[in-house]
Amino acid sequence: MKPAPTLSTAFLRPAGQSLPEPLLALRKQRGTALVDMPLPTRKTENWKYSSKYLKLTDDMAISLPADGKAGSSLAVPGYKVVFLNGVMMPEASEYPDLDGISIQSFGDLSDEEATELADRLDSTLDNKAVQMARLNSARFEDGLLIRLKPDAVLDQPLFIVHEVTASASGSAFPRVFVDAGRNSQITLVEEYISSGSETVMVNTVTEFNVAEGANITSVRLNMEGENVQHIGATGVRQQRSSRFESHCVGFGGPLRRHDLQVRLEGEGAECKLNGVVVTQGKQHYDNHTNIEHVAAHCNSEETYRNIAADQSHAVFNGRIHIHQDAQKSNADMNNKNLLLSNGAEIDTKPELEIYADDVKCAHGATIGQLDEISLFYLVSRGIGRREANVLLTMAFINELVEQIPVEAVRETAQTRLNQFFDQTFEEA
Amino acid sequence: MLSIKNLHASVEGKEILKGINLEIKAGEVHAIMGPNGSGKSTLSQVLAGNEAFEVTSGEVTLNGENLLDLETEERAREGIFLAFQYPVEIPGVSNLQFLRTAVNAMRAHKGEPEMNAAEFMKLAKEVSKQVDLDPAFLKRGVNEGFSGGEKKRNEIMQALLLQPKLAILDETDSGLDIDALQVVSKGVNALRAEDRAILMVTHYQRLLNHIVPDHVHVLAGGKIVKSGGRELALELEERGYGWLGIKDEETADSSAN
Repeated sequence: MKPAPTLSTAFLRPAGQSLPEPLLALRKQRGTALVDMPLPTRKTENWKYSSKYLKLTDDMAISLPADGKAGSSLAVPGYKVVFLNGVMMPEASEYPDLDGISIQSFGDLSDEEATELADRLDSTLDNKAVQMARLNSARFEDGLLIRLKPDAVLDQPLFIVHEVTASASGSAFPRVFVDAGRNSQITLVEEYISSGSETVMVNTVTEFNVAEGANITSVRLNMEGENVQHIGATGVRQQRSSRFESHCVGFGGPLRRHDLQVRLEGEGAECKLNGVVVTQGKQHYDNHTNIEHVAAHCNSEETYRNIAADQSHAVFNGRIHIHQDAQKSNADMNNKNLLLSNGAEIDTKPELEIYADDVKCAHGATIGQLDEISLFYLVSRGIGRREANVLLTMAFINELVEQIPVEAVRETAQTRLNQFFDQTFEEA
Repeated sequence: MLSIKNLHASVEGKEILKGINLEIKAGEVHAIMGPNGSGKSTLSQVLAGNEAFEVTSGEVTLNGENLLDLETEERAREGIFLAFQYPVEIPGVSNLQFLRTAVNAMRAHKGEPEMNAAEFMKLAKEVSKQVDLDPAFLKRGVNEGFSGGEKKRNEIMQALLLQPKLAILDETDSGLDIDALQVVSKGVNALRAEDRAILMVTHYQRLLNHIVPDHVHVLAGGKIVKSGGRELALELEERGYGWLGIKDEETADSSAN
């Protein structure tokens, strides 16, 4: 029997040493633990549909240098932090000194702060289920630590622009850690973009610690190029009566993978997870979500929509785990999928594990095509075929796009969607 | 206006229309009556261009132009409007967006400039009053959660907005209570014009009390078996289809059962 492929040791050599000592030590320790880490294969259940798209050749093991200039100047309203190849660019970032809110790059932390952070990194993720997050922990070159004191409220969305420059092969390891104190509030937008055309990997981890009564909105926009493999993870831990809302909008690539793990640990916590994925050409997109109802009286609501055109492939795997003590849990998961061509493929798998006996748990998954009768109705009013197709496709995701609470993100997504429609629906 | 000659059409290989001949002139209102399954709805769908129905022979022209060569949207732009028997619900597309897109598609075809959102909103609010629809419905999804009556009123509203040359009303009276019937009829009567024809397809006579037709045709077994004036509808009401030698179940659909 052929031994399972393991991660090349080339991937265990981070480049930069400019982090505070406690973080360097943590990274080293995580790296040691990764020696002989088996890579996901077709037989790895949570990588079943995606392992064949994962290409980790040795030339991609290099940390992409953060010496370029952050190229794309997105008109970002509100506050902005720019990361280039996983390293913060202070000169491109703009945010004021705010009462009760600290926004710092990992490189700027004192040893004391770094020690505290090192103790808490990875604490929101189940690393067995999210193998590739471990690689980030062994390789991050920098990161962003956001701390909100109790009752602190960020008055505008904070944009984190993660740009990767692909002028040579290599990888970037963006990292974000959010510590939201009691009753604090923040809206965080993570935007992933790229420039250049060499084959690169972006391996991200974003963690949210959400204290009692805090209210967090997370928006994630994946817009990288056709040369970028994106393997990201988001971990969330929620305490009593906190709220976490997530809006993920992603456009496909050679490999796009996002693991979103939410642990509802305090009574009365609630989360709402929305996701929209659009793929075309030969793109691949895989969303894995996991909601752990640990405490009683928590609510979760999840709505994901995939649209796959051409020969593209989208995957949704949504797990809800209701622990034995999580009585009066209320969980609702819904995944609808739209195939726009005969060659496209969508795989969806809701997974419910329920160990409490007094819960409300609903799930639904559908896969379909555009409705012929609706199409006939629209064109019978003089609306052109192309426009009718666009209207019906937008109708499939409108509800989710409209819920994104940041206008600039809705506009950016809509522009990209319009390109997709131009490429997918021909004028009759 | 509309000329139908020896029209044959089938669905899934089964012939439903077996030689329809009909001439409709501008300004006229025609009613086609007939028992269930006689081919009334098929005729409406074929005229509007539903590809589920195959025209096997015959000719249909609108003002001399061959209608059967045109795509559905082209027919609509040339002035064919079908009020659906079962209007389609499209959640996620707002009525306002749907109606404005349709109106602007028509305007573009005529070389007229697009109506902007504000202009259209004003127009839509006016027209919605004509059919007694609360303007709040404009913000809702197309027909989403509408009652049967609201859906039919929305169909008539679309006709009023799009100003077709030929409006085909497929069982527009079905599922309406008396009040809704009056509202819908008022809307249809508002459509009546010198340069417009109306073709009403209906099972029952009662709609014709409100919208008085110039001609009445009886469709049975895929053919027009009798034509007459308004009095023909009244006679049918009184004597039933049996009077014409048509059994109500002797229909295209049930003959196959």
